[in-house]
Amino acid sequence: MAKISNKQFAESLYEITIDLDGKDLELVLQKFVELLFRHHKLTQATRIIIEFESIVKKKEGVVELEITSARELDSETIAQIKKVFGKKVEALQRVDNGLIGGIKIKMEDKILDGSVRTQINSLKKCLVNN
Amino acid sequence: MSTNQIVEELKKHISAFEKTVEVEEIGTVIEVGDGIARMSGLTKCQAQEMLEFPGGVMGVALNLEEETVGAMILGEYKNIKQGDTVKRTGRILSVPVGEQMIGRVVNALGQEVDGKGEITTKQFYPVEKIAPGVMTREGVHEPVQTGIKAIDSMIPIGRGQRELIIGDRQTGKTAIAIDAIINQKGQNMKCIYVAVGQKESKVARIVAKLEEAGAMEYTTIVVAGASEPASMSFIAPYSGVAMAEYFADKGEDVLIIYDDLTKQAWAYREISLLLRRPPGREAYPGDVFYLHSRLLERACNLNEANGGGSITALPIIETQAGDVTAYIPTNVISITDGQIFLETDLFYKGVRPAVGIGLSVSRVGGAAQIKPMKKVSGKLKLAMAQFRELEAFAQFASDLDANTKKQIDLGYRITELMKQPQYSPMAVEDQVVVIYAVNNGVFDDVEIKEVSATEKKLVEFMNKTKLALLDKIKAGEWDEKIESELKEACKEFVTIKRSTNN
Repeated sequence: MAKISNKQFAESLYEITIDLDGKDLELVLQKFVELLFRHHKLTQATRIIIEFESIVKKKEGVVELEITSARELDSETIAQIKKVFGKKVEALQRVDNGLIGGIKIKMEDKILDGSVRTQINSLKKCLVNN
Repeated sequence: MSTNQIVEELKKHISAFEKTVEVEEIGTVIEVGDGIARMSGLTKCQAQEMLEFPGGVMGVALNLEEETVGAMILGEYKNIKQGDTVKRTGRILSVPVGEQMIGRVVNALGQEVDGKGEITTKQFYPVEKIAPGVMTREGVHEPVQTGIKAIDSMIPIGRGQRELIIGDRQTGKTAIAIDAIINQKGQNMKCIYVAVGQKESKVARIVAKLEEAGAMEYTTIVVAGASEPASMSFIAPYSGVAMAEYFADKGEDVLIIYDDLTKQAWAYREISLLLRRPPGREAYPGDVFYLHSRLLERACNLNEANGGGSITALPIIETQAGDVTAYIPTNVISITDGQIFLETDLFYKGVRPAVGIGLSVSRVGGAAQIKPMKKVSGKLKLAMAQFRELEAFAQFASDLDANTKKQIDLGYRITELMKQPQYSPMAVEDQVVVIYAVNNGVFDDVEIKEVSATEKKLVEFMNKTKLALLDKIKAGEWDEKIESELKEACKEFVTIKRSTNN
């Protein structure tokens, strides 16, 4: 039998625990830890937790953003950006002076790059090629 | 152009430039090592797509799995670390192609390595491409003159053919390939030599030799050295054939040499094992046959409607202790249109090039031979076949009947005649004369050790006195008149030889 991946563990845990609370949840968690022990997977527990968190976020429609800007953004701007991407948005802020201006937003495996640095680079490419 | 004009021009370009928000698809490196990286993310990644690692290092996606993408890294992978961001490029791996490549030494990505300055070409060709289909091809009908007597007469190669050169280490495989390149001077042929996993010193020696012979004027050398990552050795032959396709598309003839495909298979095995593809026979992955067949299928002879270009491929395979039944040799033998077998025993006996006539064949080249060569080589092949059968009896020479003895003697003389030093290709018309002469007994009363000296004299004599006849042979004319002229010339030579000897 093929090995069960961390993601599969996390997914099944999510499926089982979704409607549970109180005593049942505790029991299920205990059983889950025992299962991990039997499969020698306890060392992978932190990774399974990370997977679990990302599954929860995905299922509940939470979008994770990483906003990089040249200067510190005020809360109003951030709220505006968040609004564009949907209701449940978790944003992480970063400052990178190298961008010169504009912002760069990373979501899942996409980067929306509206920074001045990139614009200048593509202008350079455009001029050199012509 | 005045400064004002330049400023105006720049202004125009700048105003034409549109601001856009770039959308990039990225992934994260999970694992890296031995020229291989595994990444998460990159959900829409295509097979064979180029990926950009930090620092401009490129990779090629090979394994597309449920959660991860496995890629080989083209170049330095020491600076790539876990957690690095990888960008999709949306492009398939391609190499620069064009006239500028001629005379240059480039790496597997088409970048110069000879220090003669950057190569700027207008066009790029994809490294992996489906070979031309049935309707675009036609049969092989024009010869490739290698300048090697044993090959041009008995194992002829045609334009668009794939002829394998196979043999143990140190049997002169590369020597044949280099001689063939040198002999392409003035034959309207572009040459590409792909060195896969070779010692850099060997490649340097080859470049120097080709330059000395003036062969770099029509040759490109693609190098994936032994010190470069396996991924380079893996793609170098494909890069080489992409450069060849540029010329073939223009209707030109190209000769491409892969030296050697054994090392490419090793490189591919290494990459496949690191990507955790299941190993098969000799630990090669299951698609190692396809690795070579898709490469060699790209050799072609296009018909007139498709430009009439051709790519002739001479792949080289190195065997271990003469074992041609190993996996890679059998694969490539079955793909190619024939093979030139080089034997260690012959090599040490002094028969150089050490072509084993019995095991070597050319399945399609016969159709491409010029008519005079076709006429004279038939008899030669027959004589050699009989000789091989009788050779075992040679030690009982005293008990043999005269006829058998004569055949054995002729066999020895032909073997002697087929010897040829390296870097001295022979013109096809000279070859025809020499073979005609040996068929018709000119060498019968010559001591065996005198054969090559006499051959030299014969060629000199013909080039001095019978140029018109040689030109006709070169043009591929052959009829009774020419044959009788040749016969007369041989007689004349024998008379002169006898008179000078006495």
